[in-house]
Amino acid sequence: MGGITLNFGDVLAGQPGQWLLSGFLMTLYVSIAGSLVATVLAVVLLALRIAPSRAINAIAIAIIEVFRNTPILVQFLFWYFAAFGLLPRAVRDYVTDNHPWAVLPFNNVVLAPEYLAAAWGLGVFIAAFLAEELRAGLNAVPKGQTEAAISQGFTYGETLRLILLPQALANCWQPLVTQYLNLMKLSSIASAIGLAEITYQVRQVESYNSHAFEAFAIGTAFYLLVGLALGQALGALGPHPPGGRPRRADLAAEKEARAAEVAEAASDA
Amino acid sequence: MNPADAPLIVLKNLHKRYGSLHVLRGVDLEVARGEAIAIIGPSGSGKSTLIRLINRLETISEGEIFIDGMPTASFTGRRLRELRTEIGFVFQQFNLYGHLNALDNVSLALRKVRGLPRAKAEARAHELLERVGLADKARQYPAQLSGGQQQRVAIARALATDPKTVLFDEPTSALDPEMIGEVLAVMQELPKNGITILVVTHEMSFAREVADRVAFIDGGKILELEPPAQFFGAPSHPRTRRFLKQVLSPLSAAEP
Repeated sequence: MGGITLNFGDVLAGQPGQWLLSGFLMTLYVSIAGSLVATVLAVVLLALRIAPSRAINAIAIAIIEVFRNTPILVQFLFWYFAAFGLLPRAVRDYVTDNHPWAVLPFNNVVLAPEYLAAAWGLGVFIAAFLAEELRAGLNAVPKGQTEAAISQGFTYGETLRLILLPQALANCWQPLVTQYLNLMKLSSIASAIGLAEITYQVRQVESYNSHAFEAFAIGTAFYLLVGLALGQALGALGPHPPGGRPRRADLAAEKEARAAEVAEAASDA
Repeated sequence: MNPADAPLIVLKNLHKRYGSLHVLRGVDLEVARGEAIAIIGPSGSGKSTLIRLINRLETISEGEIFIDGMPTASFTGRRLRELRTEIGFVFQQFNLYGHLNALDNVSLALRKVRGLPRAKAEARAHELLERVGLADKARQYPAQLSGGQQQRVAIARALATDPKTVLFDEPTSALDPEMIGEVLAVMQELPKNGITILVVTHEMSFAREVADRVAFIDGGKILELEPPAQFFGAPSHPRTRRFLKQVLSPLSAAEP
């Protein structure tokens, strides 16, 4: 046993390269679908959580706590093995049939139990967290904002949509971004139910030619790059912080004024 | 009676209870059109609760409020929201919408509650901002404005839907002293334009100079209701006299 000799060529070219590329794309596909599911469900959960009925709130709390406090691996296994089996026979047959239109480049099948269970499982899991982040963001909006809106004749729904939620989103944007990044990273666990995303493909390469170090390095680099890019993009796209983002021109003027003050102070001394 | 002479707001035997706490214990008050009423009293006396009942930020426990001769205590839903657009409310903490600039703060209700097109709503908002001396601050966000400027935007916002009445809940209590004047100056213009104002305040000079009548409220009841000359010159109720002594010369009133 000598030192490690790295050979990325054997991992990036040929069949292993095809597998890795296919895995990259599958991770992106399942993350995008999972994010959409998570966003829609989070809004529904939030609505139930803050509805003016204790009973409805209790239902939302129960759902949120179950999904936040159980391992996502267990949830994947549940959706894939248990829940899918409860679907009507016709639906299951349709999902497992061959559908050429549902095969994306590099042989990624998106109408398949693995993909549906993974996207749905990620969506439900992250939705529970998103709903709680949004609620925290809402709670941080001062009560006076609601009173002002009510006193102007807005309905509660309008108050929520026009006044409270925009400020709540600005309050909790960073934690929300973190949850979407978590979703992307947690998609790796869907390899356990056979979803051929990047982690699954990395292991396949490893068992094919034993270049474990190179394969895992590439997989890690992929998660890191996508995570950094996504974090930057979502952060930049985020809503303005309350009070508005200071404009570049304003910042420049302020800097100039401060410089002038410093110069003045220096000449006084 | 000529409807123009009929009082705009009539409070009849108004009560407010929070559980076992009886905050307002039977308030009667008639407010004429275009009148300015200052409401003063010790903290916890129920003066803020009183004006919050008029636009129903609080629920009425007992009694009736007539506005324009119409009993409103039973109003809910759409009728209540319509009533609220007829009554402006200005808060101690301004409560400007933090994510909107001054122009949008003033025009939002015009667009979304009154259904005006954006151009019309913004033209009206510009007019109002000019009226409170902030035409040049239309694009500024609340966090970029001083307290006095924020409160003036809040007054413009309260005026957006052309209310007959504007209620003020300690509008200058959160301001630095040098900014109180600019807000009071905007407020005293309103009665001149036929707008009825009820002002809960600690500004005795405003009560003295601008109010048509001053109400002293303590223990959940109006104990005294007089024009300022009478109110400050010859208060009849002993509690009024004690309160005025405390606020007008706090040091000599303090018991060692």
